[in-house]
Amino acid sequence: MAALETVELEHLPATHTVLLALYRNVANTAFLQEQLLSRNADFEYAFVDASTVASRFQLLSAVYKAIAAEMAGSMRTPNVHSEVVVSLNSNNNISEAYRRYGVQPSTKDVVVVKVLISREGSPSSLSPEDVGKHLQTHVQGESVSCSDEELAKVTDWPKLRKYHKLNGLPWIEAIKDEKAKKNELEMLIISAMAMRGT
Amino acid sequence: MAPLYALGCEGSANKLGIGVISHDPTTNTTRILSNVRHTFNSPPGTGFLPKDTAAHHRAHFVSVAREALRAAGLTDPARELSCICYTRGPGMGAPLTSTAVAARTLAALWGLDLVGVNHCVGHIEMGRFITGAANPVVLYVSGGNTQVIAYAEQRYRIFGETLDIAVGNCIDRFARTLQIPNDPFPGYNVEQVAKKAFYTVAADRTTKTPRDPVLLDLPYAVKGMDCSFSGILGAADLQAAQMQKQDALLAAGGALKEGEQRITREDLCFTLQEVVFAMLVEITERAMAHVGSKQVLVVGGVGCNERLQEMMGLMARDRGGSVYATDERFCIDNGIMIGLAGLLAWETGFRTPFEESTCTQRFRTDEVHIKWRTD
Amino acid sequence: MATPEPAAAIQPPTPPADSASTHEFPLPPILQQPSAAGPAELITQGAEGRLYRTSWLTPTRPCALKHRPSKPYRHPTLDARLTRHRILSEVRILQKCRREGVAVPALYGIDESQGVLSMEWVPGRPVRVEVNEFLRRRAEKYPHSDGGRGRDEVARDEEGAAPLVGLMRRIGEAVGKLHKAGIVHGDLTTSNMMVRPWEKDKGPVNGHHADGQAEEAEHSLEGEIVVIDFGLASQGSADEDRAVDLYVLERAFGSTHPRAEALFTVVLEAYKDTFKVAPVVLKKLEDVRMRGRKRSMLG
Repeated sequence: MAALETVELEHLPATHTVLLALYRNVANTAFLQEQLLSRNADFEYAFVDASTVASRFQLLSAVYKAIAAEMAGSMRTPNVHSEVVVSLNSNNNISEAYRRYGVQPSTKDVVVVKVLISREGSPSSLSPEDVGKHLQTHVQGESVSCSDEELAKVTDWPKLRKYHKLNGLPWIEAIKDEKAKKNELEMLIISAMAMRGT
Repeated sequence: MAPLYALGCEGSANKLGIGVISHDPTTNTTRILSNVRHTFNSPPGTGFLPKDTAAHHRAHFVSVAREALRAAGLTDPARELSCICYTRGPGMGAPLTSTAVAARTLAALWGLDLVGVNHCVGHIEMGRFITGAANPVVLYVSGGNTQVIAYAEQRYRIFGETLDIAVGNCIDRFARTLQIPNDPFPGYNVEQVAKKAFYTVAADRTTKTPRDPVLLDLPYAVKGMDCSFSGILGAADLQAAQMQKQDALLAAGGALKEGEQRITREDLCFTLQEVVFAMLVEITERAMAHVGSKQVLVVGGVGCNERLQEMMGLMARDRGGSVYATDERFCIDNGIMIGLAGLLAWETGFRTPFEESTCTQRFRTDEVHIKWRTD
Repeated sequence: MATPEPAAAIQPPTPPADSASTHEFPLPPILQQPSAAGPAELITQGAEGRLYRTSWLTPTRPCALKHRPSKPYRHPTLDARLTRHRILSEVRILQKCRREGVAVPALYGIDESQGVLSMEWVPGRPVRVEVNEFLRRRAEKYPHSDGGRGRDEVARDEEGAAPLVGLMRRIGEAVGKLHKAGIVHGDLTTSNMMVRPWEKDKGPVNGHHADGQAEEAEHSLEGEIVVIDFGLASQGSADEDRAVDLYVLERAFGSTHPRAEALFTVVLEAYKDTFKVAPVVLKKLEDVRMRGRKRSMLG
């Protein structure tokens, strides 16, 4: 079984540790959303609807943007995890971002992002092992590797194109090679995400 | 081989400059023997007109030439000189013509070759000699020209230039707006006013208190390696008009609106310099980045400005290079720069035949074949 | 000729000493963080800022990071105003280009307060380098030419000129596409265009095809033109601005590649076919040229 993955990110300060997991066919998405809505401190995670993730690169772009905002003190949401969710959006509408990219009762597959932060000599109270155990206990789904291959199985491209206003671009439709086309779309989404908030 | 001597005559604008230069082709040693200049200054608030300037040059040519020869220790110019060099262009038609006619007369009188010289090339060659900068990016800034130039394959190629008026013209005209005197030259006086933005003087004129100058709002207009100054001049003139309204209001015992910035002559001159010089430094840096050069040479009258030199120096330092600038003797239009560029051309066999010894208001820097450079 | 006994020569001022040639620059904060790919490599110190090659998110994904440090020569107020304005304008323009299918780098991250812009790394080399190498190879091939002094220009129909002509055509098309998308670059030079090699295993993107010729050819002029550095670009569709854009490129081309100057007409011919009002822009270019001549001669 694919466990929780610790992701090494470039230019990430040593104070921050990024953990990543992908769960397929999650049975208790309503429960997970409920924990977020009730601000249950034990559930400080970004639970992302995996169908809105185009690629691992796009996902990590959002994670990095959220961490950068956390470090710069320029977050627009309560914590780095909610910030990951809004960073997937390409506009500044926060509640829309939660609705679109965050876990909903109807969500089928869930990407979990956890950022452990140690501050001023006090390390994070949680270890990656603790997080792994906690998720294993509370997420009722099939844990798979959070790879491009697995993510590609669940990506809902029509939805993503709608969310990021990527319809009606004739030159995109003219690209015959599906891989090239998706690559262009992915880059457009990442660029749009990078621009959010500027 | 003995050194060669040339007389250079410059009169493309309001300065009449005549000087003697020597160059030894075998050792490539250059010496300035004399550098005499007489400037026509019009009253504050006015610019120099072609007709009056030409009359000035005609009136002073003989005495300036005599002084140049005397100072250089020449007693028999017909035998001692190799050629008479004059500014063929670019510049103002009437003063160019006066100077060309006088130079032609000397050549005929002494039976010497005439060499017509491009004014901009004169500045560049003088700057290279004075500073020892071998192959720099050249910023040529004066009342009539604003160009960023780099050498390639026997041409001085223009990388960037003004899209409308010259930077010196912008500053001079703003000086007129503020009734700043033209003597010794308007840009110098604007610079002195700008320096006063750094302190306030007590009413009894005994104590100075340092202050931070206020950067007023002026547009910034750089397009690629080109820039534009007319919009900035227009905006500065508007600010000056606003200042005069404030002056009148305050004199009448009124008060400025809440939060309204009090505009002063000092801050205006300061801002104008900061903005237009930042633009010049930026386009110069872009040209340096483009050709991969670390040296920058500033020539032309505006090149004397200490703030411009300082800003250029800061930029060059960050690029691991340095700025080469000269002082007013060589920066401002002068005769020896024409003499030097002319002599270098003469040594390669270049002559301006008598019947072709005209002058022209329009003469691009990159039209001249720089035969004497082989790098 | 007699040698006069001259007066003491006038002494010129002393030239300055060159600053230390290895100048250490402060890195932007992001590049002070750990990276498995190693330290960032300074690629160019353009006028706009410094371009680093580094990695983005993973060590294997290269990234072009543009840092606009504050300019010490500029008044701080003016500096902050220009830096912020330019970085935001640049990202908006890049995104607009990408949406319109113009080949430009994708955006990875923006930190306008630090003056940092991270973008996709465009493989390949600048047009300037490729053209100069082409000209150098040509000079080696025809050593009878006059050693590179002045007149030795490439003719369009001469043997072996086809790849260069093809490149010029693609430059014209790229600029046309850019203008069609409502963008004026503001600093078109051959340093601001990359030749991105065609990707063999990838389908054609952005309308360009890898033709059979490219596969067998060893020359490096083959590839897609990717326009970079939109630091001075603006949005607009005024014929005048477009014409000035072409004029800037024309002059930059002439001064950078004097020996290929005659081929610039190929750029303009290709440009003419890219969008409806292109012929109008070219007409305007003639006016701009005329003005250019006039102004630099008088002032």
